[in-house]
Amino acid sequence: MTHQSAVPDKKRSPLHTAGSLLVVVVMNLVMFPLIVLMTVMGIVLFPICFITGKIVTGWQNDRVMRYFVWVYGRAWMIIMSPFVRFKRTGLTRDNIDMPCIIVINHLSFFDTYCMALLPVSDIAFAVRSWPFKKLFWYRPFMRLANYLDLEAIGWEGTLRDSRRVFERKGAILVFPEGHRSSDGKVQRFYSGPFRLAIETGVPILPLCITGTDVLLPPDRWWMMPATVCLSILPLVYPREFIGDGETAHINLRKHVRKIIAEHVEKMRKEAA
Amino acid sequence: MTDQEIMTLIDTTLVNEFELNIDDMAAEASLKDDLGLDSLDRVDMVIVLEKAFGFKMGEEEAIKAIRTLGDIHAFVISKKQQMH
Repeated sequence: MTHQSAVPDKKRSPLHTAGSLLVVVVMNLVMFPLIVLMTVMGIVLFPICFITGKIVTGWQNDRVMRYFVWVYGRAWMIIMSPFVRFKRTGLTRDNIDMPCIIVINHLSFFDTYCMALLPVSDIAFAVRSWPFKKLFWYRPFMRLANYLDLEAIGWEGTLRDSRRVFERKGAILVFPEGHRSSDGKVQRFYSGPFRLAIETGVPILPLCITGTDVLLPPDRWWMMPATVCLSILPLVYPREFIGDGETAHINLRKHVRKIIAEHVEKMRKEAA
Repeated sequence: MTDQEIMTLIDTTLVNEFELNIDDMAAEASLKDDLGLDSLDRVDMVIVLEKAFGFKMGEEEAIKAIRTLGDIHAFVISKKQQMH
């Protein structure tokens, strides 16, 4: 089965002029080393920053770590800013009720970095096992931030660890597609976050992202200039679905997927 | 509950949960290659089957060896027989 790409070909492969080719070459030659340098510096400076942050805020370790993950994302945005425009819609502190379960479509490795566009930092990412296994340089920090390794801890562990986050008014962030979309379209959603919402009564906060598939899609290893947009949709409360019984999480999942897919399409049209 | 009823309940449960096509639910269908279910889906699969049949199966080693729909049928039928 083939899918028509949701991203115009011109945007995914813009090497149509010598000027744009030069920009892309410069971007990749400069940005990749800068990101590596930023990461190395972050790792070196982390102990002093972490201890200072803990003394100043009095927060628990995982909360401090999540704050520094957010700061790292902000630093990445500043570094990328000569080549990437970041836009956000509706993302104010007032629009985000904590605790919540943030669900967002997934287009690129850099989607996680873009979560620094959010006005809140107490977010525990719920991910598959591979980032814990493959991204070894991030692993200790992910552990310290108490990120959820969904495949390792199973449903009971997910429920237990999520409740801990919610009790402290934090958020769980999930990419419900499970992996990056290869054609930019919103894929099938897993049930986990929606079952979690039904079980805990915590609302779903749908987010939509576009542009990171132009920046660095899953089928390309080099970056391209892009405009990244992050948009928020109204909270979806599980109580509206609980009456559906055994199919409550399925109906909630279908509803959230529908509104995200529709909004992503709208964002793409507006960007075009 | 007969074996056939158990298999039918498994199939309909999985069709509803994963939005699968009932016509694809053959015993020899590979969960991964034919039904497109991966390791995260297995977590969801265990939950819905536990709810449908009323027993715990999350810690079972045999779950990890399941490859086809027929393996699930056999596993659940075996569990139901052990319960009686």
